[in-house]
Parts: sequence; C-alpha cells; structure tokens
Amino acid sequence: MKTILAVDDSATMREMVAFVLESAGYRVIEAEDGAQGLDRATTTSCDLVITDQNMPNMDGLTLVRSLRELRDYKNVPILLLTTESSDAMKAQGRAAGATGWLVKPFDPATLLEVVQKVLR
Amino acid sequence: MEEKSSPKPDARDAAQAADLLVTVAATLNERLAFTAEELARSQTLLREASSELMTAFRGAADRLVAATKDEAAAPKNVEYELVLDHLYRAVQHLQSHDLVNQLIDAQKLRVDKMREKLGEAISLAEPPVNDPAQAEQWIQRSRAMLDCIVAGIQQIDDDDAQHTKSDKKHAGSVDLF
Repeated sequence: MKTILAVDDSATMREMVAFVLESAGYRVIEAEDGAQGLDRATTTSCDLVITDQNMPNMDGLTLVRSLRELRDYKNVPILLLTTESSDAMKAQGRAAGATGWLVKPFDPATLLEVVQKVLR
Repeated sequence: MEEKSSPKPDARDAAQAADLLVTVAATLNERLAFTAEELARSQTLLREASSELMTAFRGAADRLVAATKDEAAAPKNVEYELVLDHLYRAVQHLQSHDLVNQLIDAQKLRVDKMREKLGEAISLAEPPVNDPAQAEQWIQRSRAMLDCIVAGIQQIDDDDAQHTKSDKKHAGSVDLF
C-alpha cells in the first residue's frame, strides 16, 4: 500500500484529502504545517507528498526545497495543493522541485488521476 | 511669556478641517466595528453549518473507507460507487466552506488592522494643540492623522498582495511539471 503525506494547516482540507485517497486504497499520514511535514517525512517513508503552500512555521515551497535536499526524497513526487494560482508562484514551485501544482478546491476524481499518474 | 493670539480665518478653517477628519475617522471606525460584528456572526453561522455537515460526512466517509479496507465484506457494487460519488461531491463543497471560512478570517484581520489605525489617528487628535491660532499646527495634526490612515490602507494592500485568494477561474486546475 502506497503511503501519502498530506500537509495542510486546515484540518478540514486534510480530512478531505485523506478521505479521497483512503477511499482509493492509499495510506495517508497527516501534518499540519511544513515543519511537521518535514518531521513526518523523515520518520516515515512516503511515496508521495501533497502539501499546501501558505502555512505557519514552514510554507509549502520551503518544505519542497527541504525535502529535495534529503536523499530519500530526491525522486519522490511532491504536489502543491493550494489556492495560489499565479504563474509566478507555479514557476517558484517548479524551481523548488515540485512535481505538480493543483488549485483548490480540488475535484476528487482529478486528484486521484494525478496521484495515480505521478505514482506510476 | 508668549501670548496666544486669537484664531485667524486660516487657522479656523484648518481647525474645522481637522475636526472633520476626526468625525470621518470616528464614523468609519463605527461602520467597521459593525462590519467586524457581521463578519464574526457570518463566520459563526458558517462554522456551525460546516460542523454539522462534517459530522454527517464523517459518518458516511468512515463507513465507506472501512468498507474499502474490507473488500470481502463489502464488494464494490454500483451502490458503493454511487455513495462514493455523492461523498466526492460533498468533498468539493466542504472545501469551499473551508476556503470561505479562511477568507472571512483574512477579512476580519484586515478590518481589525484598519480599525486599529483609525483608532490611532483619532487619538492623535486628542491632545489640545499648543496654539489654536496657528493654522500650521492644525495642518500638521491633520497630516499626521492622514498619514496614519494611509498607512492602514497600505497595510491592507500589502496583505491583499500576500494573502491567498480563492480563484474561481483556476479552481481545480492541474499543472504537472
């Protein structure tokens, strides 16, 4: 079973992501900000990270950069799931090493398609 | 000892303008206080509704996820897919609730910051001017008040630039790099 780390400071959003992924058979672990996400990622081996951008303590882009510095996460897909939709932000995400960018609110079927695609 | 002169027409005009500025700032502050209350009330209603919806959602979602984990007990039939489809639609709407709640939080913060600046501006008008007959003193006071108000507006603009905006046009969009 693939393990996915969902990072978001909104409990509702984490719950929504977790439900959609668990209903498709994935194991989901949660973190409420980038710092906690980094901690979880180092203690649990994750196959995919889905993170929000604007969070306290550590934002999504910083989390992406920090994860990419870890040997175990050099090739693990990382998706940004955020309300931010500007091209400039997406470019920053790409430069940081993100695999993709999804704009909230997400469509569950689309999220699953993307997850399946990047985990392939 | 220097004698204070009686106000000249210029000074009277400047004093009236300063008073008017205080009245405008105080009125605006009152209106914003009302807006803050309305925002708080709207948020309470939204949170109550969201909480009820989340409870209902969890009840159905937990059962469904449990069924997914125990495929032998609950084979994935048409009804299962139908329920899942309904829950997926609920996921989208519950996200919108959450985003609106965050937007209200951001608006409340902006209103509070602006009210703080207006309060600061009003307090600048509290101490009496040294020489009411000097137009320049009233003008300086008005200028200080205006600077304070403009700083509040600037803060809102800066927050706007930083804050996340729910962009309906791009909602749900995907970019894979």
